[in-house]
Amino acid sequence: MKLNIEGLLVYFPYDYIYPEQYSYMLELKRTLDAKGHGVLEMPSGTGKTISLLSLIIAYQRAFPLEVTKLIYCSRTVPEIEKVIEELRKLMEFYSKETGESNNFLALALSSRKNLCIHPEVSSLRFGKEVDGKCHSLTASYIRAQRHSNPNLPVCRFYEEFDAVGRQVPLPPGVYNLDDLKDFGRRKGWCPYYLARYSILHANIVVYSYHYLLDPKIADLVSKELAKKSVVVFDEAHNIDNVCIDSMSVNITRRTLDRCQNNVDTLQNTIHKIKETDAAKLREEYRRLVEGLKEANVARETDIYLANPVLPDEILQEAVPGTIRTAEHFVGFLRRFLEYLKSRLRVQHVVQESAPQFLKDIFDKVCIDRKPLRFCAERLQSLLRTLEIADIADFSAVTLISNFATLVSTYSQGFTIIIEPFEDRTPTIANPVLHFSCMDPSIAIKPVFQRFQSVIITSGTLSPLDIYPRILDFRPVTMASFTMTLARTCLCPLIVGRGNDQVALSSKFETREDFAVIRNYGNLLLEMSAIVPDGIVAFFTSYVYMENIVASWYEQGILENIQRNKLIFIETQDAAETSMALEKYQEACENGRGAILLSVARGKVSEGIDFVHHFGRAVIMFGVPYVYTQSRILKARLEYLRDQFQIRENDFLTFDAMRHAAQCVGRAIRGKTDYGLMIFADKRYARADKRGKLPRWIQEHINDGSLNLTVDEAVQLAKHFLRQMAQPFRQVRSTPATKGTEQVSTFVVWKGRWRHGYRCLNLAFQSQQLNNFVA
Amino acid sequence: MDEEPERAKRWEGGYERTWEVLKEDESGSLKATVEEILFQSKRKRVIESHEQVRLGMMRHLYVVIDCSRSMEDQDLKPNRLTSTLKLMEAFVDEYFDQNPISQVCLHRNPKKHIAALKKAVDTVCVGEPSLYNSLNQALQSLKHMPGHTSREILIILSSLTTCDPANIYELIKTLKSLKVRVSVIGLSAEVRVCTVLTRETGGLYHVILDESHFKELLMMHVKPPPASSSSECSLIRMGFPQHTVAALTDQDAKPSFSMSHLDSSSGPGLSLGGYFCPQCHAKYTELPVECKVCGLTLVSAPHLARSFHHLFPLQAFVESPLEELQGDRYCQACQGELKDKSIFTCTSCHSVFCVECDVFIHDTLHCCPCCIHSQVTPL
Repeated sequence: MKLNIEGLLVYFPYDYIYPEQYSYMLELKRTLDAKGHGVLEMPSGTGKTISLLSLIIAYQRAFPLEVTKLIYCSRTVPEIEKVIEELRKLMEFYSKETGESNNFLALALSSRKNLCIHPEVSSLRFGKEVDGKCHSLTASYIRAQRHSNPNLPVCRFYEEFDAVGRQVPLPPGVYNLDDLKDFGRRKGWCPYYLARYSILHANIVVYSYHYLLDPKIADLVSKELAKKSVVVFDEAHNIDNVCIDSMSVNITRRTLDRCQNNVDTLQNTIHKIKETDAAKLREEYRRLVEGLKEANVARETDIYLANPVLPDEILQEAVPGTIRTAEHFVGFLRRFLEYLKSRLRVQHVVQESAPQFLKDIFDKVCIDRKPLRFCAERLQSLLRTLEIADIADFSAVTLISNFATLVSTYSQGFTIIIEPFEDRTPTIANPVLHFSCMDPSIAIKPVFQRFQSVIITSGTLSPLDIYPRILDFRPVTMASFTMTLARTCLCPLIVGRGNDQVALSSKFETREDFAVIRNYGNLLLEMSAIVPDGIVAFFTSYVYMENIVASWYEQGILENIQRNKLIFIETQDAAETSMALEKYQEACENGRGAILLSVARGKVSEGIDFVHHFGRAVIMFGVPYVYTQSRILKARLEYLRDQFQIRENDFLTFDAMRHAAQCVGRAIRGKTDYGLMIFADKRYARADKRGKLPRWIQEHINDGSLNLTVDEAVQLAKHFLRQMAQPFRQVRSTPATKGTEQVSTFVVWKGRWRHGYRCLNLAFQSQQLNNFVA
Repeated sequence: MDEEPERAKRWEGGYERTWEVLKEDESGSLKATVEEILFQSKRKRVIESHEQVRLGMMRHLYVVIDCSRSMEDQDLKPNRLTSTLKLMEAFVDEYFDQNPISQVCLHRNPKKHIAALKKAVDTVCVGEPSLYNSLNQALQSLKHMPGHTSREILIILSSLTTCDPANIYELIKTLKSLKVRVSVIGLSAEVRVCTVLTRETGGLYHVILDESHFKELLMMHVKPPPASSSSECSLIRMGFPQHTVAALTDQDAKPSFSMSHLDSSSGPGLSLGGYFCPQCHAKYTELPVECKVCGLTLVSAPHLARSFHHLFPLQAFVESPLEELQGDRYCQACQGELKDKSIFTCTSCHSVFCVECDVFIHDTLHCCPCCIHSQVTPL
């Protein structure tokens, strides 16, 4: 189907389009026109990805000089693969419609673990091992050594790629990870390096967030990407946390011990090299004197994505004299390490800012700020010079040096918290130094600065205005779209009271309350009797879940539930959880029915979809606030208040509600799907909470379902489930949303539940829409 | 089901939102919606009949009724089990009425079924059901049925869970290969495994909304399903015994036992008249039946004729608004004045009927009285 979106010809590979997809594309086009950033919310299952892709590709074709590249960031490998499949469909449609083969190159990029085809290396289980092994085969100095010693192991795929792969560009087409591997096998080239090289001239790149946000990886992979790119962050409701995590460092005693070993190894290697090849060290020294001029030139000419770890000022200067020679640097590291060790020997919690920390370190061990800032760079240089094969072993010392650079670079936006023990186990000494980033805008700033359009999109981004504030950017468009539904396939219910009128809430004061726990159990029991197949229940934390489940067990509630459905529990152990998930799905499939007890913010709540019978109901027990006693969180809240004028409570509620929305959103993954969404906490009924849910959920909460008792909820749910079980053959879809009313373009739309075409003028008022069946 | 089901006390019943169905019109009156609701309830339409398809006329139907704990639920009044059994009685009657040459649970005698159903009312519902076990048991008997008959299982499932001893998907494959058609009526909600089961075996899957919908769904299974083209056709020997009362011809006749009462202790044992099998002269008091002695299927001609209307269904009447009607506003069947806003017109004779008569004609008469009336009888 061809669409005309404000004068732009868009090819859309499906025969029908939902009104919200149309409005989505419209907003997207306006964002691109304005060369600005956008925040767009649209429920999952409405074809967000394909709308995005078809519009941006159409735009790329229409204005090849304005937008040269699409960088699509997703979270997980399966999501990346899904995007590529949609893209393939779109490209096929293009070549069918236009009759010419297009010269678009689109590819996915993932870690070595997912792309390696070397028989030995790819059989390793962990990503880090694969990286390390690969590095030991392909590092430049290893290959240089091989010239003198041909017996050294070699990765023939990399060698082949290095010899010829760069001359011939990857032929146009759509490549997912397997396609890349196949191509690599055929040609004998390393798919990973091929992909990394090809993203520079590809039209569309699909990869994980970390390739752009994590400064360590972004520096390797993404720094040369063209400025005129459009960056899309899909499923971006957690983007601030990703940013923060990528800039934060946690140091424990174990890290320090391993770091100590690393430093010893470095020392020994330096000794060895000094005896054999002193010239090499001298050469490095010379280079360091010259400074990081090269990098500076590159950044000025705008070729590179700025690296937040490597601030601009550093590039102006040469590495300070105190750490230029290798021995001095190792000595410096030792001093720094000893200092950190001494800091970890605390009896009480310490919280200090970066400048305080710097002052303290200067007073105690006479380490200046300046050499600290160069620590990361200096270490990289040393590792290169020493020709250390397996980088993975040196992760500890790399971490410490990154910490040194960060702490000395940013005086704001970070905090240092040293805790002698965990809150839950105050008797076991387990000191941790949290160097925690409080300002997500630091990591994402280079992205916003460098690329002309950055689109942040997800199914749950409400309230929209908070993202620009915490990420510190000015969007040109912000929009939230709802789902147009042929039938009301979601049923949000807020259960505020038990049958005995006890208020249900997970708030701290009533956590241990027997009556609340019993009523929660009763809710689950009753639901298990009337909801078919799968129910997913979310708790606010693992501790809370454990308490409640134990209590249910004692009261015999679990036993009663098990008569209706089997019970599976998510644990912190990933393997156990995936096992539970598998069994859960099996139980749903063969009619026994199952309940999955899981935790908001856990693995299940984020990445796993419960389509159709796998999730007929989601029950959210309580409001999933973060653990508010955590010092890191407190520091962050304080920072948000001081810097961005966001009140603590606003942020906490926002955070809780986005996780709640994520959890309940697991049940509905498309328009043919249906599911109950049960919010079991009376606080959800309050306008400040309810108002923060995404629009597409809010719409369906009517005043009658605000403060239900368990019984009332059961009746409503029964009715809803019976309604939904009726054969689905409604003709009319609900009319287009308000957002489309100003548009005056004709769109051919094919009703999904019927084969006739109908012509729909989106400018018509909603009532006319229904009569306008051609 | 004429009698009003025994209502539980209002406060014992479920929480209902009866007011939500009603909507005010512009003037704030409820009359329009109330009338609309009444009209709709009258016009629960006869299911679209498919035309010119082969139908399996000889049916072997197994009805499985879930008696698990969830049948105690009171959302159907007085509870699910009682309500189901009452509806089943009606179903059995209707079934034999419409399909005289078919069997339910390999039995032809409706009276026996009804007696069994009545007894079952007192059953205490406990435990979990097993779809697998019930299907398996039904399958064991059905698989010996000859190929020209349909093999059907109707499950009335109240529970949302099934405790199976083995993988049910294997069994579904077996059912499919044996061409057993499994239909399910769910009393609570859509269960995945039933969806798969019915889709694979070509049956219907419905979930009830309320009691009247339940009845409607049950009645849907009275109509024979379309036969699959692969099922074999064969000629069947049938006997058409005449009802003869021995006393009329022979003064010395003595009352005799009917063969159909041999296996049951109940009922009147001796009678004078009866149907005699044309092959072996065994006596039966009721038709249709399979002869106990020689195995011949005994039916009467009207039985066969009654099965016929499934093959040649009456065309649905055309619905049109009352305003469009010219001439007299009287129903051709009941002669009452047409008051509802829609009327129904027969496609062949263009007679006009009201809603009630339309439903009656399609559900019971199976032919248009005006068409027959206008036919010039050759006699």
